[in-house]
Amino acid sequence: MRLVRAELLKIRTTSTWWIFALITLPLWGVTLFFNYVSSQFLVDPVEVGTLDPQQEAQLQAAADPLNIASNLYTNGQFLGVMIVMLLGIIVVTSEFFHQTATTTFLATPHRTAVILSKLVAAAVLGLIFWLGTTVLNLIVTPPIMAGFDLGAQLDRGAVWQAIALNGLAYLLWAIFGVGFGVLIRSQIGATVTGILLYFAGYIGAGIFLTQLSLKFGDWINNLQLLVPSLASQLMTTGTDLPGNPPRWAGAVVMVGYAVVAGAIGTLITRRRDIT
Amino acid sequence: MSDGRPSPTAGSGQIVVSGLTKVYGNVRAVDNLSFVVEPGRVTGFLGPNGAGKTTTLRMLLNLVTPTAGTATINGRRYADLTDPVRHVGAVLEASGAHKGRTGINHLRVICAAAGLPRQRADEVLELVGLTPAAKRRFKGYSLGMKQRLGIAVAMLGDPQVLILDEPANGLDPEGIRWMRGFLKGLAAQGRTVLVSSHLLSEMQLLADDVVIVAAGRLVRQGPVDQVIGSMTHGVRVRVRTPQPDELVAALAGHNARVHRAEDGALLVDGVEAPVVGRAALAAKIELHELVTERPDLEGVFLELTAGKAAIR
Repeated sequence: MRLVRAELLKIRTTSTWWIFALITLPLWGVTLFFNYVSSQFLVDPVEVGTLDPQQEAQLQAAADPLNIASNLYTNGQFLGVMIVMLLGIIVVTSEFFHQTATTTFLATPHRTAVILSKLVAAAVLGLIFWLGTTVLNLIVTPPIMAGFDLGAQLDRGAVWQAIALNGLAYLLWAIFGVGFGVLIRSQIGATVTGILLYFAGYIGAGIFLTQLSLKFGDWINNLQLLVPSLASQLMTTGTDLPGNPPRWAGAVVMVGYAVVAGAIGTLITRRRDIT
Repeated sequence: MSDGRPSPTAGSGQIVVSGLTKVYGNVRAVDNLSFVVEPGRVTGFLGPNGAGKTTTLRMLLNLVTPTAGTATINGRRYADLTDPVRHVGAVLEASGAHKGRTGINHLRVICAAAGLPRQRADEVLELVGLTPAAKRRFKGYSLGMKQRLGIAVAMLGDPQVLILDEPANGLDPEGIRWMRGFLKGLAAQGRTVLVSSHLLSEMQLLADDVVIVAAGRLVRQGPVDQVIGSMTHGVRVRVRTPQPDELVAALAGHNARVHRAEDGALLVDGVEAPVVGRAALAAKIELHELVTERPDLEGVFLELTAGKAAIR
């Protein structure tokens, strides 16, 4: 427990966390704008030509006020979890960047305990970022919904489920970041790779899988679940969308990634020479 | 905690290195190294660059895993010490602080991790004379201030054993003198002080014992005077005279070995200064200088480590 306190103190006594919080704020605003526009489209769809029955069904499900609300209450996730992942990376890599790893491991020779406390501290930080964006979402969403002539939907369990799963996504991405930071100790290397993989996974895998599914059939589309950024998005839809894997599957995939990243990171740190 | 005496929980304070070996690829950075460091004394850990000093200290502190052998403090491996910070304080070359963190916060983080009371951070800052810079960020610290902060970190747990890697690097003469007094004071309190360095003149002033390594192996260990005394040529006499050839002839019967120094002086091994003086007087040779040169740690060190390539 004292190690977690030490890790949180490390975060508190440097400026990284509030700089990242300041970056998160405008990013949250940008995603809010896009979500607002797409919600407007869903509420009042203009004619988009002929859709096949499945797309029609998906569109209808997405236009369910519940799903519009869930989407808005979890606004900011797309870039928010990336920020949290970067923070997780920095929690580890800054030890090597600033050569404090020696001091850290002298105070605590049990390296597993050090990495575990970093995982916990990063998870706490992730939840704080989730809490911040969620408070903002709870403030702005009801008036937006009212603008669509829809209720705030806050009496629906599914909305709160989406908010909670969003919190889980923030937590897991933070843990994921810590594991990633251990794998790539260079601060710049780890952050750049993290960002690239995040976006490449999101855009690249989406395009790649769509092409494959055209060739081999729709089941391929379910593989998008294996892409972390898509899996965590799936977790925050209000209801299960037709043709998409269930939400819990997204959560399971993310937990799996976090556990694997954390475990590999811990094993590597235990064996590595600190020079 | 700050009465100057090691904590009562402390053990013997002995450092025992036994058969320690570290192999990187096909380089034996440390090669079957064994030595003992006793409490109550300052022990200098000397060797040319690349001799394996830092690797040895890092193996002692569980930062680097030995290929073979053991290193113990108070009879236990560092990783097996409960609350190691309370037993061992270390200042290593590459132990920095986050550039954006203040000195006092750097110490508080370690207090939190080691379970030490928060005010220890203020106490050790006072101890090393850094209190005025407590709230300044680490990036604004001079090299000397960084070294002092490193020592403050080492003193947090009021440890019985102190291990310092090149602590005098970057210190000005005033800082070096402060460090010398500080470390001698700690040894006088009965603590174990192990200091690696290649500043030999400084070590001669500071150390009671020396451990000399080269190419990863032990070359010599013992009290400074003994190590210096053990060297072959012993005393050397430096003479300056306008009649060097005559003096060489006069010394011929005295079992003396004479070399000519580059500056024209004669260096006489094997006889004491009075013998040289008397021989010169008897032969009516004019002398301008007659000095006894005792070997110093630097001379001994260079002789002991000569030919052991530093870069392998």
